[in-house]
Amino acid sequence: MIELVNVPSLMTIQDLGRTGYQKFGVPVSGVMDEVSARLANYLVGNEDNTPLLEFVLRGPTIRFHSSAVFAIGGDIDAKLNGIPINPWESYWAKRGDVLEVGTLKSGMYGYIAFAGGIKCEPILGSYSTYIRANFGRALKSGDTLSLGYAILTEKEGKKLPKEFVPKYSNESEVMVILGPQEEHFTEEGIKTFLRSTYEVTAESDRMGYRLEGPAIEHSEKGADIITDAIPLGSIQVPKSGKPIIMLADRQTTGGYAKIGVVARVDIPKVAQTRPGGKLKFRAASVEEAQEALRRRETTMEVIKMFLLGELRAYKLKVFEEELIAFTKVEKKR
Amino acid sequence: MFPIFKPAGDSAIAIIFGDEIDENVNKKVHAVAEAIEEAAPEWLIEVVPTYTSVYIYYDPLKISYSEVLEAVKPFLSAEPREEEKRIIEIPVAYGGKFGPDIEFVAEYNGLTVEEVIEIHSKPLYRVYMLGFLPGFAYLGGMDEGIATPRLEKPRLKVPAGSVGIAGKQTGWYAIESPGGWRLIGRTPLKTFDPSKSPPSIVKAGDYVKFVPISEEEFWEIYKQEWGESNDRAC
Repeated sequence: MIELVNVPSLMTIQDLGRTGYQKFGVPVSGVMDEVSARLANYLVGNEDNTPLLEFVLRGPTIRFHSSAVFAIGGDIDAKLNGIPINPWESYWAKRGDVLEVGTLKSGMYGYIAFAGGIKCEPILGSYSTYIRANFGRALKSGDTLSLGYAILTEKEGKKLPKEFVPKYSNESEVMVILGPQEEHFTEEGIKTFLRSTYEVTAESDRMGYRLEGPAIEHSEKGADIITDAIPLGSIQVPKSGKPIIMLADRQTTGGYAKIGVVARVDIPKVAQTRPGGKLKFRAASVEEAQEALRRRETTMEVIKMFLLGELRAYKLKVFEEELIAFTKVEKKR
Repeated sequence: MFPIFKPAGDSAIAIIFGDEIDENVNKKVHAVAEAIEEAAPEWLIEVVPTYTSVYIYYDPLKISYSEVLEAVKPFLSAEPREEEKRIIEIPVAYGGKFGPDIEFVAEYNGLTVEEVIEIHSKPLYRVYMLGFLPGFAYLGGMDEGIATPRLEKPRLKVPAGSVGIAGKQTGWYAIESPGGWRLIGRTPLKTFDPSKSPPSIVKAGDYVKFVPISEEEFWEIYKQEWGESNDRAC
């Protein structure tokens, strides 16, 4: 069991989301940055979809009431019993130990994964918190959480090679697939969207990021559509002409025209951009976006196998360029 | 012209069956959505039917966009099944503390409160789709004689079950939320319950009938439907 001694920001339990219920109006939710969250889970030997803690900017202080192995995902300093520890590395905590997680140096969302995951009751097949419908709630100081069962030996001391540590930028180029309501925009409007830089505003949360920048011109069809579905990363443009990127806690349907949808591979980049950060959009084909996603997933699979001890990593230097190579570990029976 | 296929990002495809709200278009939408769901191909993540479109969420690691296009075509011939209409009765306690705006709705339309209740509870409303928030049903068929604009300033908290009117639209809040609808009553039913399968009392394609009840009946049903509140961390 762990005790949340101090929760300084919005912190919730999340997994990869609640799928299958959007037709009943139930938002998907789930982690904002699936790459950071999944890597944190791999570090403690968990599967991709294991529930973990997601915090915004500032991390919590946690007291362990039993032994646990944990890892922090994010660009952040932390201390275990007052001794500095690193993110992207797994540590063993004993009963009575205190973990103090600091403030993110870059990025917006941080993660804390525990071997075995956080134990709670799933709602509609998922552990994701969706506050508006009381599917879980924001965690507060004094809360205690149970951890799932896991064999802890050989789970500590795992380290994510620095080549694979996510980098969070406050200025990103983001791939979008235009549509599905591009006819609601003038040609000029679409040009404005693709040529301008947009700034993430403070009116941004798990539901969506509101952007500030040159207004996007609608065609004579206008900003409103017959209520339609909202996939992750949809960029809605209401009458103001200012785009809104719909994220994890987005409503399942909505009535504003969508100028494009962010490629799934770039969702973490968007999610980790802080208010004041800048985004530029680049039109891509579905095929290009899917190819980028497949490449990322191949890398994720390799990292997962490496952290599980199924692959061994070697550093190579080829023509002054450092490469990382993996070979299979033959398992002793 | 229809259906039109469009990518909606790299993990969804929209199949659009029309460009206006129409019962027959919507019936086709649900027929196609159900056919794909029943077939449950391994690349399928979920299907979201709306007024005029079906969104198919798929796993791009298992299938490409062009393959999805081909894979969904056989389902387009699905026709609405001739089934008995499922009519869901929603008991509603009108007015008073349950419907603080009913007098405004009556006044705005030059009616008495009793007339508003009669007009609102008379039709069979068709559920076109669910969306927005958990359990929220988009109903068709409200008499325009009770149409009323939204509140200028939305309430911060509308209790679950509140029945309201917004323009030409009517419906209920399945969960507590902020909201700008004119509240005319409240149902004691738990219309959305995540511990049940399916979690929503209505599904798209159902018909809804509002049945006026008294305050006593409201509390009687309410006690059966709603247990204690729960504030567990997870």
